[in-house]
Formats: sequence, C-alpha cells, structure tokens
Amino acid sequence: MENRIDPRDGLIKQNMVFMSGMLTAPVIACSTTLIKSLAVCFVFSVVSFAAILLCRLIPRTIVYTVRVIIYSAAAAVFYIPTALMAQSIFGEAVIKAAGVYLPILVTNSLILSKAETRFYLEPAGNMIRDVLGFVMGFDISCAITGVFREYFTTGRILGSEIPILFTIPALETTFGGFLFVGIGAGLFRALYSYRKKKAAEAENDDVDSLAEYAEDVGEFLVGKHGTKAEREKIRIYKAAVRNIKTQNDLLNMEFLSNKDVLAAFEAIVSEGQEMLTENNAGNANDTGAPADAGNTAELPTEEGENGDI
Amino acid sequence: MEIFNNIVIASLAAIFLQNSILERALGANVLLYASRKKEHLVGFFAAITYTTTASAPLVWIFDTFLGNNEYYGILMPLLYILTISTVYIVTLVLIWRFLPKLFRSLKKYVHLSVFNCSVIGALFLCSQQGSDIFTYIGYGLGTGIGFLFAAYLLYIASERLTSSLVPAAFRGYPIMIVYVGILSLALYAFTGYSTSAV
Repeated sequence: MENRIDPRDGLIKQNMVFMSGMLTAPVIACSTTLIKSLAVCFVFSVVSFAAILLCRLIPRTIVYTVRVIIYSAAAAVFYIPTALMAQSIFGEAVIKAAGVYLPILVTNSLILSKAETRFYLEPAGNMIRDVLGFVMGFDISCAITGVFREYFTTGRILGSEIPILFTIPALETTFGGFLFVGIGAGLFRALYSYRKKKAAEAENDDVDSLAEYAEDVGEFLVGKHGTKAEREKIRIYKAAVRNIKTQNDLLNMEFLSNKDVLAAFEAIVSEGQEMLTENNAGNANDTGAPADAGNTAELPTEEGENGDI
Repeated sequence: MEIFNNIVIASLAAIFLQNSILERALGANVLLYASRKKEHLVGFFAAITYTTTASAPLVWIFDTFLGNNEYYGILMPLLYILTISTVYIVTLVLIWRFLPKLFRSLKKYVHLSVFNCSVIGALFLCSQQGSDIFTYIGYGLGTGIGFLFAAYLLYIASERLTSSLVPAAFRGYPIMIVYVGILSLALYAFTGYSTSAV
C-alpha cells in the first residue's frame, strides 16, 4: 500500500528555510537580490532533484558511511552541467557574485540526510512528488527572501525602481540575512500555528454541528414529549452521538442523505433500546451505553448497509 | 618561524575576520545541531577541524596545479568532495582498526560533521584567501576553531533560547538564528562593514 504524501510537507510544514532550517547558508548570505536568489534556486533544484533520483538506484546494502560519499559525488557531477547552464541563463557576473554558495549546494541536507531518512523509504512516484514539494518550498522561500532584501536594501526589484519610504542597507549583510531569516521563520511559524488552530476549530465546528443535527433528528423522531422510556432512548442516543463524535465517525455521515442519517439513527436507537433493557434489568449505570452504541454508529458508513437502505 | 606565523595569522583571520559561521553563514544548520549537546559540540569541532586541516594541503595541490584551467571553477566541488571523501575514508579506516570504541561512538554523526556546508565552504575559502600551503592549513584549522567559537556561544545561550520566556513561534530555531545574527553583528566590529547600497 502506498504512503500518502502531503506535498505541503516540504512546502510549508517542513519548509527547509523557515521551518526546519535544513539549508540556510545560501539564503542568509547569498539571497540579497532576486537574480542571485533565482540562480541559487536553479542550481539547488536541478542538482538536488537529479542527485536524489540517481542515488535512489544505489543499493542499500552499501553502508551509509560509503553511500554518503556517492551522494555528494553524484551531486558534484550534476553540478558541472548545471553551473554551465546557470552561467548562460543568469550571466557570469551573477554566478561570480554568488561565490561559494552555489558549489556548496552539493552537500545540502536534502541529498545527504532527507533522502536517506524520508525519500528513499517512499515508493518512486510519491518520492518524486515529495522531493518536488521540498525543492519548491526552498525555491519559494529563497526567492521571497531575495525580493524582500533587494527591495528593502535598494528600493528596486530586478533593476526597476519601486517607491519606498526608507531603505535598510544592512539587510544586504550576513547579519541582516540572519535577522531576516530568523524573524521570517518566527512569523512563518506563527502563521502556520494560527492556520492550524483555525483549521482544527473549523473541524470541531463541523463535528459539533453534525452532532447537533443528529440530536435534532433523534428528538423529532422520538418526540420531545415522549414517554419516559422514549426520553431515555434520546438520552442513550445522545450519548451514542457523543461517542461517534469522539471517534470522528459522524463526519462520514456528512456525505450521506437524510435517509441514511435516519437509518443510522434507527440503528442507534434499536441498539440503545437493547441497552436500555439490559440497563433496566441489571440496574447498570449509563457509562456502558456510549461505547456499545458507538459500534452501531459505524453501520451507515459500511457499503453493505448503505446499499440496503 | 615564518611558517608558524603564517599559520597563526591565517587561523586568527578564519576565527575572527572570516568566521565561516558568523561571517559567511556556512554550516548554520550544522551549528544548530552541534550546539544542542556538549558532546556534539566537541565531536563536531574535532571532526570539522580535522577534516578541513587535513584536506587543506590536498586542496592546495589541486589549486596550484589545476588553478589555471578554464573549467577549474566548475570542477572544484567534485575535486573537493573527492578530497574530503579520501580524508574521511582513510581516517575512518584507521580509527576502526586502532580505536574501535571511538569508531562506534563516532559512527552516529561523523558523516554529518564531515559532509556539510561548513567543511566544503571552508575549503573554498582556503582557496580564495590562502596564498601558500601554510595559510591553507592555518585557514583550515581556524575554520574549525571558529566553528567551536560560534557553537559554544550558541550552546551557552541555548537553554534560554528554548525556554518558555520566548514566544512559542520564535522558540528554538527562529530565535537561535536571530541570536546568531546578533553575534554576527558583534563580529562586524572587527572588520567594519560597507554595503553596495550606501
């Protein structure tokens, strides 16, 4: 069975620059202008992607102590045509200005450690998607850093002047890069946590509203002013709904029709009735009801049951 | 005496003026990892210093004999990787043969401390800054000591930087990078700085 890969892992959750800090040197010291950032992105993307793909063929019977040499040597070999291409695309001046930050990409953590601990454990198709996610995550972060630093340093982007109230020339320096990436990482993490919290809240709201809906259906069917036994049924039913809520199974009902919800409700009530009988017989307390009733709640999600309905 | 002077001057330059971490940000991610524990600190310092110092003479040979080649700049990463790999393999074999206990403890992170931006970057800086074999060696030595200097400054502050006093979003990696940035700013006092924008 294939693993499920979330492409946002590399893009956001494990972003190499702002989240995990796996590769920061070129961003901190070299991404001072957009064009230099693009050169870094180009070399990084081609070298990393090609080296990771090729090195997947290396048998894992070879010890990692030796494999790591092959990984970095493969990256260094791919660097040769990539650097020549980069020179023709971005010009020799840009490549020269990037200095040591392009060749050091041959020992980046994506090739030497992430490939070993993550990519090579995945099926090939998933691996490619995953690597692309990580590469794009780095490229976007690096390009954004380049744009911001160039704009705030010079008031220009790619040579075009854009009005600015004040410039911060120190952003061009290494310490400016450290501060920019550090503060950027903090803000990125804060935004990520906020979005995550909001998504969790929205998910809870969905579960709550479904639970309320299911309760309303139950009350409508049994009747608000029913007999004591019927009210007891509702109580058991509500407990069952609460249990479904915790199991997150109720969310599956979102995609079903009212008829399915009704059938689910009937199944729960019928189970609840049995439990009520048992409870009455054995003078048992309420605590057992949700757990047992919860089992029946899975019924509507099963294909056979839905088909019958 | 002149040889000794060359080595010392190159080392001091690599520690304070051209610190690979604080001045060049080379191996910043390795720095964050190494500063977590005292044992890592010492282990990484030893591995980086040894590798850069032992590789420096070989790099000097390449630079001297192949430096005039038109494509040397593009071939440098491959040659430097081969140099580092040679030093790495020979050293590991020797340690495995004569100090098996040390080999077992090194095995966990030796690859991480040898194959990283800090080591290969230091060799590139040797090539840029060095003039003879002794300045290459001095530069290699100074890079390792400079790494220890930066890592120790981060290590002594790491407890506070990961404490609950720091806002959750900034705790750990972001505040550490900001802290290294402030250290880097302090180091600029030795050299001063100018930017192309002013």
